[in-house]
Amino acid sequence: MEIEKGKTAKYLREKAGGVPEQAKENLKEFTRIKKLLLEALADEDLTIKQLADKLNMPSDEVVYHLMSLVKYGLVVTGEIDDMDEYFTYKLKK
Amino acid sequence: MEESLKSICYDALVIGAGIAGGEAALNLANTGYKVLLVDKELSVGGKMIMLSKVFPTLDCAACITTPKVSEISRHPNITIFTGSEVSNIRKLSDNEFAAKVTKKPRYVHVEDCTACQLCEKACPTSVRDQYQFGLIGRKAAFIPFSICSPKAAAIDIDNCTLCGACERACPTHCIDFTMETETIELHVKTIIVATGFNLFDPNNMPRYGYGKFKNVITAMQMEREIAPTRPYHTILRPGDGKVPDRIAYVLCVGSRDASVGNPICSQICCMYSIKQAQLLMGALPMADVTIYYINIRSFGKGFEEFYQQAKGMGVNFVKGKIGRISEKENGNLILRYEDINKGKLQEAEHDMVILSTGVLPNKGIDGLFENETLYLDEFSFVGQSDKLASPAKTSIGGVFVAGAATGPMDIPDSILSAGAASSEAISYIIQHA
Ligand SMILES: Cc1cc2nc3c(=O)[nH]c(=O)nc-3n(C[C@H](O)[C@H](O)[C@H](O)COP(=O)(O)OP(=O)(O)OC[C@H]3O[C@@H](n4cnc5c(N)ncnc54)[C@H](O)[C@@H]3O)c2cc1C
Ligand code: SF4
Ligand code: SF4
Repeated sequence: MEIEKGKTAKYLREKAGGVPEQAKENLKEFTRIKKLLLEALADEDLTIKQLADKLNMPSDEVVYHLMSLVKYGLVVTGEIDDMDEYFTYKLKK
Repeated sequence: MEESLKSICYDALVIGAGIAGGEAALNLANTGYKVLLVDKELSVGGKMIMLSKVFPTLDCAACITTPKVSEISRHPNITIFTGSEVSNIRKLSDNEFAAKVTKKPRYVHVEDCTACQLCEKACPTSVRDQYQFGLIGRKAAFIPFSICSPKAAAIDIDNCTLCGACERACPTHCIDFTMETETIELHVKTIIVATGFNLFDPNNMPRYGYGKFKNVITAMQMEREIAPTRPYHTILRPGDGKVPDRIAYVLCVGSRDASVGNPICSQICCMYSIKQAQLLMGALPMADVTIYYINIRSFGKGFEEFYQQAKGMGVNFVKGKIGRISEKENGNLILRYEDINKGKLQEAEHDMVILSTGVLPNKGIDGLFENETLYLDEFSFVGQSDKLASPAKTSIGGVFVAGAATGPMDIPDSILSAGAASSEAISYIIQHA
């Protein structure tokens, strides 16, 4: 089979007979949580605790996903509160 | 999967490209010998490349490792295989070993990758980053970490949905899903085993709550939190993103404890904890740091002074055995401990707990050898056949051992040990020419 440069993912997909279920599930879950977090921050800047309350999501999961979104350049860190304990986070404009 | 068969020859094979294997390879290469350096990970550098600063000098670990790693990578006498493993080692004669090297596909042609990260940006998938010890995510198309070597992307095929977005974004067309596992037949004259150590898994001690209480982390995770290439923008509790201000260290987690199968002292945990405590006091000047210890073992050059320096900075040392950790609703942690000096049971509240987990052997290295036996010591580290006079010699003539593969060891000792192993290997090659 002639394999076109830049289109080799298709080749492996066909060869492997599809995509592993686990990979598909992971992608679905990340896309869902990313959407929730970005929508929540679209209205206002929030701390991790506030995000956890608003989305009814465990705060450790918010930390993990939100910090990933900071790394991926979608969210930025805002100010820290008066007690120097919690930062707010906002969408990258 | 189809496999291609090649045959290659070198003077020496070094298994494991941590600081010990890297140093041993450099010594051999600088003496004119051709070396194949093999590591199972996507980058050379071992655990040291992941560290923040190093005791007892507080030098930046990356500043020491990066020039060394680049010298290893550019050396004309050193060939590096990452993402690769060695097996079926056979001693054919006194100056010839044969082995099988299995190179897993990286799905990226390293020589053409410019590390531009456009593939990372395009990839829609996110999974826990093993090089940040799970504290943050990374893409399925990813550069392992910013100072990795080779500095090139890799595809995590288990988490890839084969959508092709990375390929379309890559300006140099170096992503290639047609890559396959390569099996190579290798011939060498001598071998250095530098496969390092493993860390104790604190899930095996449920009373400390690791995994369940999110503000209980390991020292390796804290090492990442204080490194310049850290996962978060500052030091945060993974449970709720709070900046911690009452931090506790629990020493000897999984060390000196026969009940978890590891009766020996890990030798490095006291000192790396004292180092981290000093770095935390620098990064969070308002924070209280307490170290719960059984004994502080500050036996090396400059170590006792380093310990006293930490005390002088205000680190609180409590001689206490932790019985159990429980969690409050606000994520704070209650440590129940026996105050050894007072002979009393006490409780203390902290907002983050770091478990200083012990050093374990990297098991299974003896299984790489086919027709000779690589003896292990009573704790399953690689055995030294003449511990006092020739500590790099193993039970197999021509096979030497370097670094923490022989037992818990800090960086200076690993480098010294690599010096001994490379000298022994060179003299072995000359004697058996
Ligand atoms: C949290 C923490 C903090 C520390 N801080 C300090 C400090 O401040 N100062 C200090 O002096 N020391 C410190 N140390 C100790 C230091 O990490 C070790 O001394 C050093 O890493 C030992 O180097 P090594 O090359 O022997 O082993 P490793 O670093 O373990 O490297 C072994 C290499 O071998 C590879 N490998 C393993 N098995 C195979 C296989 N079968 N095939 C191919 N490759 C394989 C691994 O991928 C790895 O790259 C710290 C350790 C920890 C855990
Ligand atoms: S093909 Fe795989 S690695 Fe590439 S972008 Fe898609 S999911 Fe990510
Ligand atoms: S694989 Fe391509 S897109 Fe990814 S870092 Fe390398 S050159 Fe850039």
